[in-house]
Amino acid sequence: MSSDVRFTDFKSDKQPTWCPGCGDFGTMNGMMKALAETGNDPDNTFVCAGIGCSGKIGTYMHSYALHGVHGRALPVGTGVKLANPDLEVMVAGGDGDGYSIGAGHFIHAVRRNVDMTYVVMDNRIYGLTKGQASPTSREDFETSTTPEGPKQPPVNPLALALAAGGTFIAQSFSSDAQRHTEIVKRAVEHDGFGFVNVYSPCVTFNDVDTYDYFRDSIVDLDDEDHDPSDRDAAKKKILDADKEYQGVIYEDENSVPYSDLHGLDSNMSEIPDGAPEDAMDLVREFY
Amino acid sequence: MAEDLNWAIGGEAGDGIDSTGKIFAQALSRAGRHVFTSKDFASRIRGGYTAYKIRTSTDRVRSVVDRLDILVALTQRTIDENVDELHDGSVVIYDGERSWDAEIPEGVVGVDVPLKSLAEDAGGAIMRNVVALGAACEIASFSIENLDEALAKRFSSKGEKLVENNKQAARLGQEYVQEHYAEDLPEYSLAETDEDYVLLNGDEAIGMGAIAAGCRFYSGYPITPATDVMEYLTGRIDRYGGHVVQAEDELSAINMALGAARSGARAMTATSGPGIDLMTETFGLVATSETPLVICDVMRSGPSTGMPTKQEQGDLNMALYGGHGEVPRFVLAPTTISECFHKTIEAFNLAEKYQVPVYLVSDLAMAVTERTFRPEEFDMDEVEVERGNVVDEDDIDQYLDEQDRFQPHYDAADGISPRAFPGTEGGAHMSTGLEHNELGRRTEDTDERIKQVDKRNRKVETAQREEEWDYREYGDADADALVISWGSNEGAMVEALDYLDDEGIDVRFISVPYIFPRPDLTEAVEAAEQVIVVECNEQGQFADLLEHDTLTRLKRVNKYNGVRFKADELADDIKAKLEAEVTA
Ligand SMILES: Cc1ncc(C[n+]2csc(CCOP(=O)(O)OP(=O)(O)O)c2C)c(N)n1
Ligand code: SF4
Repeated sequence: MSSDVRFTDFKSDKQPTWCPGCGDFGTMNGMMKALAETGNDPDNTFVCAGIGCSGKIGTYMHSYALHGVHGRALPVGTGVKLANPDLEVMVAGGDGDGYSIGAGHFIHAVRRNVDMTYVVMDNRIYGLTKGQASPTSREDFETSTTPEGPKQPPVNPLALALAAGGTFIAQSFSSDAQRHTEIVKRAVEHDGFGFVNVYSPCVTFNDVDTYDYFRDSIVDLDDEDHDPSDRDAAKKKILDADKEYQGVIYEDENSVPYSDLHGLDSNMSEIPDGAPEDAMDLVREFY
Repeated sequence: MAEDLNWAIGGEAGDGIDSTGKIFAQALSRAGRHVFTSKDFASRIRGGYTAYKIRTSTDRVRSVVDRLDILVALTQRTIDENVDELHDGSVVIYDGERSWDAEIPEGVVGVDVPLKSLAEDAGGAIMRNVVALGAACEIASFSIENLDEALAKRFSSKGEKLVENNKQAARLGQEYVQEHYAEDLPEYSLAETDEDYVLLNGDEAIGMGAIAAGCRFYSGYPITPATDVMEYLTGRIDRYGGHVVQAEDELSAINMALGAARSGARAMTATSGPGIDLMTETFGLVATSETPLVICDVMRSGPSTGMPTKQEQGDLNMALYGGHGEVPRFVLAPTTISECFHKTIEAFNLAEKYQVPVYLVSDLAMAVTERTFRPEEFDMDEVEVERGNVVDEDDIDQYLDEQDRFQPHYDAADGISPRAFPGTEGGAHMSTGLEHNELGRRTEDTDERIKQVDKRNRKVETAQREEEWDYREYGDADADALVISWGSNEGAMVEALDYLDDEGIDVRFISVPYIFPRPDLTEAVEAAEQVIVVECNEQGQFADLLEHDTLTRLKRVNKYNGVRFKADELADDIKAKLEAEVTA
């Protein structure tokens, strides 16, 4: 791991095909900066992504990466990290990818508390499939598949994470570059599952949850004297449906990551070129 | 004096049938006798008929037969279910003190032992099955000390006292039979040998093979009859620095295994049909991202939830063709329990050498059957781990493009690209389920598309050329009749050859453990006058494949009632098929 890594080292030479102005640019920049500033380099970093505009991120970053199937990036990240604990693992998803098709994995990844970082680019719409309702879309948000709005309340991903026993729960806004980077950095440094929901506006299909809307409504938790180690305080903020917060909402400072609980510290790629030396014992057990 | 003995215990689920059967099987195996077990069980935890059957001999036993010599019946239903298998001179051990009046069929010797009371005398009613084992030892003239050892193995972790009580229970059963039935019993004698056998089932053999092959990561979701693989690995794989994760579902299980494999670990997941359905989307990703992965399907009866505790070989088409689009995959199907071990090791080597997903297809009959083997059949010294084209920082140069970017999907002549494990300096790259170029980046360029599809398929050609896709052969190589089967039918078929031989029918038998790539059987098929393909499914999925290969119509023997082939029954079926041709 070299100390002189710059965030641009995490950039690939491929130009993003995101729409000009898409929130995902800012989200990705913050992720790259957070990785560089926490002392990682592309050769020890693994980025997993699902499907959606958000999922394209692995193409635009330079690192080891897998762009998988819709909604399943978290299990991939889990396998990567458990098999080689020396890797820095970052998982990216969209609100549809993470909270709809992948919602089951989300809850279990949270409670499993594997030491990795999960960044969700929440634009409250399906971007890549051209503008259908997502699980975080507002109840009255009109889309091609919900002409009168979904008529069901949006999921609250932060609440899901807290209920599932999340040890690091944060939210950021992609266009507040400095705060966003800082928050993702803290997620990377967290011992356990670092979850950041990022408001990452879709300029093409969502004319409600816009940059202007977030700029006007966002409240920074640092301005509110919020104590992230206080779970009850976190719960209040999370359940306050009228506010859009940014900052670290909850962090369990006693978090013990999965690998520590299970005593996992070996790089599983290193194996002997034959059976283990005492392997005949495995046979003798059947006498 | 019969050398072979067919023994069974049956009752309701929850009666401890399984563990009692296992104890007796271990006692027999420790006495140097071959053992072959089978289970009949319903898909419920308590209640419902369940049985554990053992066939034992001093010769190798490969299958079950329609014959029972000693039956321990804890319920009347046990007798009713097995009435066809009882014969003149069979013995039924039952407890006349229980509320049911055992109806013992004509010609069968009923041995009424107060199992529960004797167990209570020994320290607890729960040991009534062990009393029955003691009685069975006496009836079969099998020395009870062998049983002592098996009881010690089973109960020693729970304290010496419990072991002693169990031994006592067995003695009381033995003595009761000596006192009350000494004269009326048929003569059995279970000769002992000096062999030290091991006794294990197919799932355990797969788990053992996985560890031997260097598998260190397993993720799975419980499902009958694959769960034993996971249970075997749990608590054992960690001794070698590995780990088992019980995932939230099969979608997660295969994706975790995929992630671990991309980290460079040898990874595996095992499931049964419904789980394979869920894994199928990711299967395509595994294949296009060229990630080595072993996916084990322990088949049960389908479709949908089907008959979860019953035998079938109905998933072959799914393993071969499942998933949208076209991608190469290898399909291996062990034909015996010891092959479950060997083919698992081979599956890992093939997966890494060719960077393909490998389906390891086993079935319920193999998974729930325990059989004895010489320990040398699991020779750990012979295990070779071949990791294929893995590059490190020193040899990565040859796979960089003109801008020094590593090409994970490098268009190699043999189709096999380099692999750089994460952490390898200069090897950072991405891979994706989208069609991609050599760099791993998305492309819809027509030439690039064709290049990658061809590259992936070239691996198959390379493997077809470089590996041996052989088969096992039995019977008379020059016979006019040829029988072909795959999977666990081999055992029953090998024994069926003896039955057929007794009737003067010569048969050549070929057992095929490779589904794709597979051996070319055209010559063998052309040389035979009649060809029959034997499999446990209705449609004849393997027969279809062979017909496609050989352009010849083949006859089929299919069984799909949920029960595996029995040797004697299979011989009859084959004879009937052969004769149908002659008289037609
Ligand atoms: C199994 C499956 N179902 C559906 C799709 C189609 N699909 C692609 S992206 C997407 C939604 C993505 O939405 P979101 O996660 O919010 O990401 P965004 O594009 O908005 O960043 C869907 C439904 C798919 N690729 N795979
Ligand atoms: S459709 Fe929306 S989310 Fe997708 S790239 Fe365009 S702006 Fe971004």
